[in-house]
Amino acid sequence: MASTVIGAGITVEGDITTDEDVVVAGTVRGKLSAKEGITIEHGATVEADIVGGSLTIAGALTGNVTATERVDLQSGARVIGNVKASRVTIADGAQFKGNVDMDV
Amino acid sequence: MAGSISVIGRTTRVHGRVTGAVDLEVQGFVEGDIAVGGDVTVDVHGMVGAGVRGRRLVVRGAVKGDLVGEEAVSLEDGARVVGDVRAPRVTIAPGALVRGFVQTGEAVESPSRAARPQSAARPASPAPAKTMAAPPARAPAPTPVAAVPAPAAKPAVRQTEAMTAVGSVTANSLPRRPPPPVVPALKKAKGQVAKRKER
Amino acid sequence: MAQTRTTARDADGRDARIGSAARVRGRVHGDGNLIVEGHVEGQLAIRGDLTIADGASVTVEIIEAHAVTIAGALEGDVAATGAVRLGASARVRGNLRGAAISMEEGARYSGRLDCEFDLPPELGGASRGETRGRTPARR
Repeated sequence: MASTVIGAGITVEGDITTDEDVVVAGTVRGKLSAKEGITIEHGATVEADIVGGSLTIAGALTGNVTATERVDLQSGARVIGNVKASRVTIADGAQFKGNVDMDV
Repeated sequence: MAGSISVIGRTTRVHGRVTGAVDLEVQGFVEGDIAVGGDVTVDVHGMVGAGVRGRRLVVRGAVKGDLVGEEAVSLEDGARVVGDVRAPRVTIAPGALVRGFVQTGEAVESPSRAARPQSAARPASPAPAKTMAAPPARAPAPTPVAAVPAPAAKPAVRQTEAMTAVGSVTANSLPRRPPPPVVPALKKAKGQVAKRKER
Repeated sequence: MAQTRTTARDADGRDARIGSAARVRGRVHGDGNLIVEGHVEGQLAIRGDLTIADGASVTVEIIEAHAVTIAGALEGDVAATGAVRLGASARVRGNLRGAAISMEEGARYSGRLDCEFDLPPELGGASRGETRGRTPARR
């Protein structure tokens, strides 16, 4: 279903913008912005601010997270940064350090 | 779920470099260099504004940059390329449009891969700058390393004089293909193709 | 050995041909099609289509023709008004210009290709005449 897949061996250094879904299993350094969903898989490394509709994070992310819908941190996620979304869930086992802003 | 191939989707724009040891399919827009160890496909709607390096490159879209394939580059109908193209094997289909320097037969080192084992087995090329292609299946018998190509190559000896740059056509580099037609030293007089003395 | 000047004309509609045992040093020009199976050195300018057969070799400054199909060896530039096609057995060194240029896998080639076209606007649009990389000096 995802239209853009940054696979496990790929590294993107720069800005990514898209109207579609994005799945990141590799490495992204820069900025990531999608209109739909962003999934950061377990094993992925993201050093970027990410902006999207619905964000699912199971990997390592350093950066600010902004979602128009929801942010889900799954078990295995390691997030350092601020999260801004009207709905936020942090699963058991997820590691998180930052602010959460649900006043959207 | 994310398979072995990465995809830059149709509406995705990447302003930056893409590297890695995997395969990549570009359906959207990439403004920076792409240097991967796997195959790269630029789809008909894909656009790349810088160079692309990979193992096998297949281009159906637009590229403004050099295409360097470790194994092969194939430009298909719809491709628009402004840039140089270098690979041991280059295929250009009717309908592909190119503006740039094209060189076949050059062995290119992969950016994210150590020297392949085959390179070690290959008889050392006497003129490394000439880059003899090193395709995997090499039929001819191993050749001496010396500057003179193997005698078994028959007419190949004269090739080096007349057409050195045409893929360095000597016996060593020919992949499972009969030796190319001899280009007798055209500067030579009269119909005979005499052996030339070594320089 | 052919004379200094050879006119390739197909008097009765057949293609003109330079046979495999022929060696031409000089200028070859004509109206019709030409098939080169031997060796030509000098100049080649024809109105029709040119075929350089497998086993043939041509060394010229430039070939002028309509469509050019190469299965043999060519050292020289090509300025074609039609399509330029390199077969798998082609060995070509020189710059090619034509309405369309194609190259089969296995062709050996070194030189510049020059097609007229525009890149999409996102990549700079009309870049006609813009060159990247080097143009090798032949010989």
